[in-house]
Amino acid sequence: MENVIEVQGLAKRFAHREALRGIDFEIPRGSVFGVIGPNGAGKTTAMRCLLDIIRPTAGKVRVLGADPRRAGPEIRRRIGYLPGELALERRITGRRMMDHFAAISGPVAPGRVEELASRLGLELDRQSRKLSKGNKQKLGLVQAFMHDPELLILDEPTSGLDPLMQREFLGMVEDARGRGQTLFLSSHLIGEIEQAADRVAILRDGLIVRTATVEELRAGARRRLRIVAATVPETLGAALEPLPGLQLLDTERLGEGAGALEARFSGEVGALLHALAGIEVLDLVLEEPDLEEAVLELYGSPPGNGRHRAGEPRP
Amino acid sequence: MTPAARRPFLPLTGKALLDTWRSTLIWALVLLSVLALYLPLYPSMAGPDMAKLLASLPEELIRALNYDQIATGAGYAQATFFGLLGFMLSSAVAIGTGAAAIGEDEDAGLLELTLAHGVTRTQVVLERSLALLLRMAFLMAVIYAGVLALNGPSELGLDAGTLFQAVAQFLLLVLLGGTAALLGGAAGGHRTHGTAAGALVAVGGYMLNALGNQGEDLQWMHAFSPYHWALGGQPVANGVDWSALWGLAGLNMLFVALAVFALRRRDVGGA
Repeated sequence: MENVIEVQGLAKRFAHREALRGIDFEIPRGSVFGVIGPNGAGKTTAMRCLLDIIRPTAGKVRVLGADPRRAGPEIRRRIGYLPGELALERRITGRRMMDHFAAISGPVAPGRVEELASRLGLELDRQSRKLSKGNKQKLGLVQAFMHDPELLILDEPTSGLDPLMQREFLGMVEDARGRGQTLFLSSHLIGEIEQAADRVAILRDGLIVRTATVEELRAGARRRLRIVAATVPETLGAALEPLPGLQLLDTERLGEGAGALEARFSGEVGALLHALAGIEVLDLVLEEPDLEEAVLELYGSPPGNGRHRAGEPRP
Repeated sequence: MTPAARRPFLPLTGKALLDTWRSTLIWALVLLSVLALYLPLYPSMAGPDMAKLLASLPEELIRALNYDQIATGAGYAQATFFGLLGFMLSSAVAIGTGAAAIGEDEDAGLLELTLAHGVTRTQVVLERSLALLLRMAFLMAVIYAGVLALNGPSELGLDAGTLFQAVAQFLLLVLLGGTAALLGGAAGGHRTHGTAAGALVAVGGYMLNALGNQGEDLQWMHAFSPYHWALGGQPVANGVDWSALWGLAGLNMLFVALAVFALRRRDVGGA
């Protein structure tokens, strides 16, 4: 499939820090790609490079088949962009702001702005300085979506939105994907984009530590396991201990000939059931994998390098 | 019709002018008030009282304030308005506008979003420079009309054609502070850089002129003073000085070209 975005060895060094240290990824047309990382991991820097707002120190970037540095304004009319630190003019109504952006990036289909605004519950005739943070974010979303661009680059799109609007946003992403648009989203929480993204890159300290589908992340994520069986815990433990991906947490004797076991498990469920074959199981709880925790683990610092600790995710 | 053909002409210039029209009108009123305050005093000062006043002032002060021609209508208009308050106020507007065009826009985080849309950096600098020129040209037109309206009642005896040439030359002088401010913002990325660059050009030019007036051994300073190029030849009395006009116009264009160059080659929004 044709790639809308191709990035190879992208690096960006600012005066006092290295924001990106050589990342590679590609985004096929019509897909939704998410990048997850703690604040300061380089998400915003990568997105700004795609739009030629900042220039890479090294690496190759192609957006919609062209080098953004040389492509000129035509290419940016085919992109909708929502900045991570969205700043809007203060003394201007949403409607006038949209008129202006339509004038430089249009054409915008008649009624499209109103349609998006009503979908998000946004008043277009109020001055932007009187809007709450969430409503400003909606203005940012409207200006990114209104010209139905082939590619949407949205930096922390759900920031400031209440849960209801986050769901509405996911609906907009679905619709855009349905129309064949390509989306590149970022977030510092996987929960905010796991339903929307086909593939996710985990970015940490300027490097991609993992690229995977949400399903793959889920499959590799550790789940909490609790088993109650009509056997002493030692037997239970001995049966499960050799299982790959199992980390024993606790065992407990429950009266005569019964025991409980708690563990973390990231292996295959089939293997687990197989290992339990000869045991009389009274109760078994295998929790949904915790993606957030899986991502946090990927953020974990490699030995001997505490440099990125300052950039760890907020709770 | 192609979509490009439906796109409005000079959208950024139009927006910049619309965004500032209220403050432009206020500045026009301020400039007119200054004219109305100073020019009508000329008849009462043109007589022997003025000669007495001038005689009582130290020679250096008269030269520093450019008051040596003050006894004529043209000299009075130039010394009180174009050379002093009119220059300061117009320069303040030009520097403020120039510093806002790129530097303040970037400080506020707005430039990033504009550049992510269908514009080039060159277009942003050129359209906003044009907006600066048009704003200042409007204020100069107001000044021209104001001086002409007061010409008769204040017995200044100015020639309308000569005055037009003088105002045109004055426009290029105050514009220079504005384009320097625009360049400072485009190169440094902050409003303060723009304001500093604009103030350096405007105030520096004024100071070099004032110092150069103090004696023959300091006169070389005039060569580096745009203020002196524009006003040293007494344009309100003598009309345009073509070498000054082209020099100022060329320097303005150079500043804008450098602003294009500076903005095109750097990151926007910093780290």
